[in-house]
Parts: sequence; structure tokens; C-alpha cells
Amino acid sequence: MIPRLHSRLAHGLLACAAVLLVLSLADAALHDLFAQNPFGGPRPAAEPEAGGIIGWLLAKQSEFYRQMSATIRAAKSDGSAVWTLLAISFAYGIFHAAGPGHGKAVIASYLVANRETARRGIALSFASALMQALVAILIVGISAWALNATAKTMCKAEGTIEIASYALIAAFGLRLVWVKGGAFIRALQTAQPVPAIAGVPHNHDRDHHHHDARVHHDRGHDHHHGHGQAHVHQHHGHDHVHDEHCGHSHGPAPSELAGPGGWRRGFAAILTVGIRPCSGAILVLVFALAQGLFWAGIAATLLMGLGTAITVAAIAVVAVSAKDIAQRLSAARDGGGALFMRGIEFAAAGLVLLFGVGLLFGYIAAERTTCF
Amino acid sequence: MGMRALLGWLLAAGLSLAASAASAHPHVWITATSELLYAEDGSITGVRHAWTFDDMFSAYAVQGLESKKKGAYTREELGPLAQTNVESLKEYAYFTFARADGKKERFQEPVDYFLDYKDTVLTLHFTLPLKDPVKPKQLVLEVFDRSFFIDFQMAKDNPVGLVGAPSGCQMKLDRPSDGTATAQKLNEQTFMDGPNANFGMMFANKITVDCP
Repeated sequence: MIPRLHSRLAHGLLACAAVLLVLSLADAALHDLFAQNPFGGPRPAAEPEAGGIIGWLLAKQSEFYRQMSATIRAAKSDGSAVWTLLAISFAYGIFHAAGPGHGKAVIASYLVANRETARRGIALSFASALMQALVAILIVGISAWALNATAKTMCKAEGTIEIASYALIAAFGLRLVWVKGGAFIRALQTAQPVPAIAGVPHNHDRDHHHHDARVHHDRGHDHHHGHGQAHVHQHHGHDHVHDEHCGHSHGPAPSELAGPGGWRRGFAAILTVGIRPCSGAILVLVFALAQGLFWAGIAATLLMGLGTAITVAAIAVVAVSAKDIAQRLSAARDGGGALFMRGIEFAAAGLVLLFGVGLLFGYIAAERTTCF
Repeated sequence: MGMRALLGWLLAAGLSLAASAASAHPHVWITATSELLYAEDGSITGVRHAWTFDDMFSAYAVQGLESKKKGAYTREELGPLAQTNVESLKEYAYFTFARADGKKERFQEPVDYFLDYKDTVLTLHFTLPLKDPVKPKQLVLEVFDRSFFIDFQMAKDNPVGLVGAPSGCQMKLDRPSDGTATAQKLNEQTFMDGPNANFGMMFANKITVDCP
């Protein structure tokens, strides 16, 4: 009785968490539809949401950002100010958290949808943040520094990249939805519970068998779909992640399930998230350029990226852990557990799509007036 | 896995997501002065703004603009930029919201607009004529960006002027407190309001003019 109760409670909680997740992400996406900047500057990443700690973060962020211009000016005459600038940029990056777009949300959703490990989540976060920084540097480097383009031109270039990035997110989401929708539907079809294992979730041995069975099952699905995961076996055992992932399970860890094709998918995630430059970074770069200290702007941008990466990675780890816990709990349940997990993955895939579409249309609505 | 640990993780996940929604903060700072323009009969005909941008954004805005003298821009050289600015502002209702005795008033397109560049910062000047001049007992004028991309602060000195106002009119300015305090204070309210569409309202500068 008690395990049952726990299990039900857990599912209830997870359902709540899922709803919360959907709501907060959808909210962010919706807000982006309305958030445009009339002066042609880079557009904001997301809408603010006030809270005790969050309000404080918000204020801190602004504080760091505002200190940057003064510090860059100071660096013109005093070289040591550059160190201050780097420190401020790093702190700003950490506080700024999301950076552009909904990088964090997209990465988190992607990780959940694809059963990725925390380690890969961290790698993806750092790679995409680095790419964001590089894109910002390239945009300003080419348009402002090399071509002496106006803000209007830069903004248009940025706008084009933005459209492309939103379209990419949508396409990426669509693909995830297609794949995960298929897996979900098959899970629905095979969701007839296996009675023998039901109801004794605390028995580790059985648990573990059950889990194994389920994972193999999944692998079967992936094979059907041919996502480049046919080479899974080669990667068996090259990974390390047993402890951080499935605890006592000897089933293949998600990193192994991901396989080589998984890295290709990972690259798609990096590109999708990283192609849109950091709004603040562009302003800082142009300002540094105007002060004749472009290199300081570049250094600041890279440090900002590093700070952002740390925050995004932390969130990625939380997302992956939460999902792992859900997975463990649902593995302790009967056949419905697998279905539940496929459902979560499908929902996460749907979120990515929702973001892409929301951002894309938000952008289109604003296109006429955003730039000088 | 204990329930307690699970709850902990769920809480952490929820908080992270809440934090992710809170990523925005202003990228542009504007120091504003606003004047209410009165006709001879005591009715209000419009608002004249002077908005000074922060130096980071100013540098961004003038990037690549041609100027005869390096590092200096004349009003003429900034003319096209000023025009684009006011045209772009239309979509945002010029971030200016007026109510006459509680009734919303609308503005016409801006007139007399220009930019000047002084001490490395840009100032945008423009006048917003009211669609219909009004003569209310109380006029409330708010200046803010509801998305909080732009942080509006009224100038320290002479933030609000009443030009040609009848004698006996009283002006009151409510400034937003700094972001931290405001955000904390309005925290609960914001959550209760659900999608905090009017987040920027907390950062509104509210000018109230009472006339006899």
C-alpha cells in the first residue's frame, strides 16, 4: 500500500512539475512576442519576473552591466581597469544567466527529451555559450570594425540571424516532436502493465531488472527510427556514468544510448542555441570599439560567455537530475513508468517546438520596426 | 529515493525555471525630462520629452554615422536617426501614457523631433500632441517600458515642467524605487497577477497634475 501511495504521490508531483515547466516556459515564450526594442538595439532575452532573490539578481545584473561602460572608458588610460572589466563581465554573465533567446530553456528541454547525461548537458552549455560569444564578436567585428556599418545595418544583420535561429529552434523542435511523438505513441500501444513486477518498487533487484528491460525496449525504438543510434554497441562500456546516472542499474546509460548520432544531435543543439548572439555583448563590443579598445570588448564578451555557460550548465544539471529522479521513480512502477517517461520526453520536445514557433512569430511581428 | 529529496529536486527545478524567466533586465537607460504643454485657455495640448540615453547605447546608435568632425554629431547629421527613432517608437505608444480624470488619452504622431549629441550621449527631443486637448482636474502621465528593456528614470533636476499651466496647478512625481526594492515589494502581487504583463509598470514614473 505504502509504495503504491508513494508512487502515486510522486507521479502527482511530477505532473505538477511538468505543468509548472510548461507554464513558465510558455510564459517566457509568450513574453518574447511582446518584447521588442524600438531603438534598434539588440532585443531582450526574455521577460523579467520579479521575485525576492530574482529581483535582486535582476538589480545586480543591471549594476554590473552599467559598470561596464565606465570601466571600458577607464581602461583607455589605466590598463589595470581591464581586469576589473573582465571580472564584471564574468559576473554579469553568471547573473545574466539565460543570455540570448531561450538558450537555457531550449537546452534543458533538449536534454530532457533526449535522455542526456548531466555531463553532456554541461558540455552543450559551454559550447553553445562560447558560440554565442563568437557570433557576437563576428557580427561586430565584420560589420562595425571592418565595414564601419551603422547600427541600423548591424541590427538588420542581427535580425536576420535571429530569424534563422528561431527557425532553427522550430525545426529542431519539430524533429524532436516527430521522433519523441513516435516513441510516445508506441509506448502507449505497449503500455499494458507487466503485473509480475508491479507493486514492489523497493525491491532493488527487481527494480533493476525492470529498468533494464525498459531501457532495452527503448533502444529498440531508437533502432526503428534509425537516428544514427545503430552503433550503440560500440559505445558500450566506454562510459563512466553509471554512478551518476542509474545508480545500481547495469543497463546502458543514456550517454551510451545517445551514441555517435547523439553527438551529431548535440551539435544541432549547440548551433540552434549558439547562433543567436548575446544582446548585451553586442552593445559592449560596439562601445569598446568606439573607445578604440575592441580587444577589451572581445575579452569581456568571452568572459560573459563563460559566466553564462556556468549558469546554463547548472540549470542543465538540475533539469537532467530532475528527470533522472522521475525516471528512477517511474522505473519502480509497472508498465506505466515507461509510458510516463516517454510522455515527459514528448512534452519536452513539444516545448522546444513551441519556443521556436513562438519566437519566430514574435520576431516577424516586430520586424518592421525593430531596426533603425 | 526519498520523497524529501525528490521534493528538493523538484523545487530546485522549479526555481531554475523561474530564474530563467527572469533573465531580462534593461539594456537601455533613459534619463527623461518631460514638459506638459498648456494652451492659453488652460487645456493641455501635449507632452514634450527630452530623453537622454546612456553612453553605451549612445555609442551603439551613432556607430558608423558620418560626421564632419570626429566624435561630434550635428543635429542635421543625426536627423535620419531621429526620424527612425520616433517612427519606431510609435509601436510602443511612445512609452507615454496619459489619463485625464481617469480617461485614457491618445497622442498624435510626434512633432519637432531631433537628436543632439553632447558629452558622448544622445538626447532625443520630441513633442507628442494630444489627439484632443483636455482640461481635466487631474492628469496622470506615466512614462515607462512595460517590457523593461528600457529603464526610464526622470532627471534629478527639473524632471517635470508645466509650460503655461494655469496658476494653482500642483504637480507630483512618483519615481519608481530602485529595481531591487520594487521587485521585492511587488513579488507577491506579480505572481498573483499571473503572467506579469505589466511588470514594467513597477518601474513607471508617474506624474500627477491637479488643477483647480
